[in-house]
Amino acid sequence: MTLQQQIRGNRWRTLWLLILFALLVGVLGLILGYAFQPSLLVVVGVVGIVYGIFSWLSAGSIVAGATGARPADKAQYPRLFHVVETVAIAAGLPQPPPIYIVDDPAPNAFAAGRSPDKAYVCVTTGLLSLMDERELEGVIAHEISHVRNHDVRLMTLVSVLVGVVALLSDFLLRISFFGGGRRSGGSAGAIAFALGLAALMLAPIAAVLIQLSVSRRREYLADASAAEITGDAEGLALALRKLQLDQTSTAHASRAVAHLYIENPQNQATGVSTAFRGMFDTHPPLEDRIARLEEAGGFRLPPVS
Amino acid sequence: MWVAIVVAAVVVLLLLFLVVIYNRLVRLRNETETGWANIDVQLRRRYDLVPNLVEAVKGYAAHERETFEEVTQARAAAEQAPGPAAAAEANDQLGGAINRLIAVSEAYPQLRASENFLALQQELSDIEDKLAAARRYYNQTVYAYHNAMQTFPAVLIAKPFGFREREFFGTDEGRDAPVVAFDRRQ
Repeated sequence: MTLQQQIRGNRWRTLWLLILFALLVGVLGLILGYAFQPSLLVVVGVVGIVYGIFSWLSAGSIVAGATGARPADKAQYPRLFHVVETVAIAAGLPQPPPIYIVDDPAPNAFAAGRSPDKAYVCVTTGLLSLMDERELEGVIAHEISHVRNHDVRLMTLVSVLVGVVALLSDFLLRISFFGGGRRSGGSAGAIAFALGLAALMLAPIAAVLIQLSVSRRREYLADASAAEITGDAEGLALALRKLQLDQTSTAHASRAVAHLYIENPQNQATGVSTAFRGMFDTHPPLEDRIARLEEAGGFRLPPVS
Repeated sequence: MWVAIVVAAVVVLLLLFLVVIYNRLVRLRNETETGWANIDVQLRRRYDLVPNLVEAVKGYAAHERETFEEVTQARAAAEQAPGPAAAAEANDQLGGAINRLIAVSEAYPQLRASENFLALQQELSDIEDKLAAARRYYNQTVYAYHNAMQTFPAVLIAKPFGFREREFFGTDEGRDAPVVAFDRRQ
């Protein structure tokens, strides 16, 4: 696939996942409204909106505080500033984003901010010492792509939806245990009720799986956009290969902001079988991401020995 | 009565459609203008740098008059070039002239070691990278703008409403980029 096809494909997949999500919320809402009190829907709606506004307002400030970032000094990091400014021009940002540094030997980077003009970029000292200029350009372009593709907004929306699904299913479960509702009698009714309970218990897990799927989709999209911005898919692929070979894990990262990083900041879960492991990751495997860049750019990295 | 309502609805829909397409074209055209402004910033930096570069080299190699004149003329021509395509062409020339000036300076070890010259060379390489980035972005915006203009149904309203195609700024392959190999130390 070419970069353009990858970008379009990823946009479509995101849209489908969001529709799926809306259906999940809609069905749960309908059950709640139909089987119990329609007025409960209003309560859930209000809670959802308030929760959404709160997450939105805090989306900008949470990250810097949680990761121990400090503003970077231009005299101290001229190479970093040069790369960020150049990539910002190539991406068409209104002005280069502020740059933050985290003192952490693990190589990683993230971008945050609600809109392209309020964005900032953050890199670890480990990343700076590991990457050469070309690779650094790829990483920064990936982060700036997250900003330009409005991923902070998207992931905030998705996490609010996850919260709403959890709330709805919790509500419904509690009410049905207390025997409320106008359900009909008979064995058919009992089976339907049991199935409904199972579905309710699974709904929050399904919501989280969709959320993670969206997150992985946005990673592929950011990779493809980054390659388009720099015109150098190989530079980013080389950077990802270096991250793949690196063993240190980021100290300050929490699960809540994992989707903003260049790679999964937490160590891969061990003991879970490989078939399921991918489903609970915020990022696709680095090997897959490298393969897609190789395909789009028409090059091959030497295999890992 | 019904006919009138249907006709009115169709007219309103068509008008809405027109507004949406028109706004999209305006937005894309504005993006190309921002893209061009980005290029212009880097070109100005380059034009401002040339006299300083010439002065710096002159101090050590005063007899390389021909090279100085070539650079100065290329700079003047580039500054007066009308439109993106001509500016790209003229800046190719200027890039070549700057390259020759740098090549000449290679023969003067004292010049190469001077702090002023090093700083100028570093700025030159910064400008070249950013110019290449701005060029890539600008050409992408022009491409998107043309794409939108030439596809149906926008193609019907682009010309009558005065949307004109824009020139690309050279090609995207950095064939003219001066080869300023420079270690950016950190």
